[in-house]
Amino acid sequence: MKTQEDMAGLIHPLAAKYLRTERLPHKACPGCGIGQVVHCTLNVCEDLNLNADNTVWVQGVGCSSRISYTLWKGDNIDAHHGRILTVATGMKMSRPDLNFICFTGDGDCCSIGGNHFLHACRRNLDVTTLMFNNSIYGMTGGQVAPTSPVGAKTPTTPYGNMEDPMDTVNVAIAAGAAYVARWRSTDFKQLTNSIKKGIQTKGFSFIEILVPCPTQYGRYVLGTSNPIEVVQWYKDHTVTLKKSEKMSPEELKGKFLLGEFAHNEDRTGIVERYWDAVKKIQDGRK
Amino acid sequence: MSKAIKRKDFVQGDEAIAEGAIAAGCRYFAGYPITPASEIAECLSKRMPEVGGVAMQMEDELASIHSIGGASVAGMKAMTVSSGPGISLKLEGLGWGIKNELPYVVVDVQRAGPSNGVATRVAQGDLYTVKYGSAGGNNSIIAVSPMSVQEAFNLTIECFNLAEIFRTPVFLLADETVGHTRELLEIPEDSEIELVERKKPTVPPEEFLMYPMETPEVINYPYPNIGEGYGICVSPYTHTSRGYATEAEKDHDKMAQRFVKKLTENLDLLTRCEEEMMEDAEYAVIAYGCEARPALEAVKQARQAGIKAGFMRPIIVWPFPDEPVYKVASKVKKILVPELNRDGQLSREVARAAKGQAEVYHLGSGGVETHQPSQILEEFKRIIK
Repeated sequence: MKTQEDMAGLIHPLAAKYLRTERLPHKACPGCGIGQVVHCTLNVCEDLNLNADNTVWVQGVGCSSRISYTLWKGDNIDAHHGRILTVATGMKMSRPDLNFICFTGDGDCCSIGGNHFLHACRRNLDVTTLMFNNSIYGMTGGQVAPTSPVGAKTPTTPYGNMEDPMDTVNVAIAAGAAYVARWRSTDFKQLTNSIKKGIQTKGFSFIEILVPCPTQYGRYVLGTSNPIEVVQWYKDHTVTLKKSEKMSPEELKGKFLLGEFAHNEDRTGIVERYWDAVKKIQDGRK
Repeated sequence: MSKAIKRKDFVQGDEAIAEGAIAAGCRYFAGYPITPASEIAECLSKRMPEVGGVAMQMEDELASIHSIGGASVAGMKAMTVSSGPGISLKLEGLGWGIKNELPYVVVDVQRAGPSNGVATRVAQGDLYTVKYGSAGGNNSIIAVSPMSVQEAFNLTIECFNLAEIFRTPVFLLADETVGHTRELLEIPEDSEIELVERKKPTVPPEEFLMYPMETPEVINYPYPNIGEGYGICVSPYTHTSRGYATEAEKDHDKMAQRFVKKLTENLDLLTRCEEEMMEDAEYAVIAYGCEARPALEAVKQARQAGIKAGFMRPIIVWPFPDEPVYKVASKVKKILVPELNRDGQLSREVARAAKGQAEVYHLGSGGVETHQPSQILEEFKRIIK
């Protein structure tokens, strides 16, 4: 068995710099896209000088979170299922000086944490949320998610999913998120830029990442566990926002749009408003 | 001890709890409106900005308790409040606090249930809820119960101190009667109030173990917060002493022992009862919270009627004061336990702790009103015949 020292030369220099290398290899299944997102995030760490002193890594429950928990040097705060944004609220309000990067999944964020998601957007809480959307409950065995397509046959929808998937991006925009984007985990450059922009944006940043899950989504919904075929499926079922403008509703049916959907920094968020108010109230008492 | 008083006021128990939290150094509050606890949230919404703290009205009870968990991780003394059906929801977040040894305070202003019950009226139905409500067992809950407005203030401070000493969520188990009673509150000068502040590690991060799994009984253990360079790991999963997730039976049992033993090995700090007229007592009444007031009055009237009656009140109700109750039971023939539920919650605990040394009788009611002293006295006379 290789020791940590033997491994040192095999580990990417950014991983060695920002990750707890003793926690590698991480728990992702073969063909999972979560590692790609971690890689994009590492590039952002380097570009924005995110380190253990200025950044807190926050996780929920599910594949996205289980894989990234205790992966990062610095503080790793993993919440109950769905409660990630409420824990982040308590932390950010208490320590406005720190960056909070939240790793959540489609089930964690949109289903069990749906209410908190709406209100984090509404408060325009200044944290960055990366929502890993694999359109299924991966960790628990491939059950239907609120993001699964109609007709998807899963262990809990043996007759096919009868519900429409949530329009996540438009929910985030309607609820008031400052920055909203969607990419695939394979869109290395665009995703890296979006994560960077999300962190730099004052207010709530919501970045949805379409993550291929050959183990569950591939097997149950696409009928293949071959990672290349699953990635190809995402290639065939996504279209950039720009390209979509020239397409008809029929052509767009069943396709995910990719791109930046909102970037609004005019509206201040709860953190700034609250602490400004505290200053005024305290000055008024002097 | 001198008793320098900063302010005297005629206030509700709920307001006293809010002022107690401020005096204790609480600087993060999150809540969700619910009768009869809303007044605490209203007071703190006004007071927190004045003292440089945060008060948040969250979208629900779950968000409230998890956000105070987040604030505690960030170094704040933090509190949430609720009642009845709100407490049921908060229990979801409580496990995360217990599991990660987070110091924070949860106030339960008990009201009549189950479910919404009678929202505006008193009951004592949550004794077991606060202790055993968090699923999965192996918990480390401390609960403290006030019987007056002054105690609501004093014991709120005590709750924050115990939370820091034991690194665990602490309940202030109040009730609607205490919460809505108006009485004189004397707020001492700050210098008169003893506060426990969070200990910080003295060793470098690479040597520091976040969770003392090898010494489960240790208290006053340091707790670094986010942004302090210690790379803390907090999660819902069973952890090693560094906070890494583990599924090993040995590790899990160590964690379970930690939660239980940090309380059971330090009971001297967690035993607080009040006794009156117990020296020569042959019969006793044991009650807690608001119900202790008519109970004490009934005992006094029994004495006037020539009955050798004594009174005992657990102030820290969890861990349950087994030894003091056993001593009372060893001394008397019969014990009456009046309480505002029909389940017999306190009376079951008293009977367990009495170990057959005395006969234990339950005087219950579904709540809404506290017992009258005359009702307790009548039952007392009936059982000692």
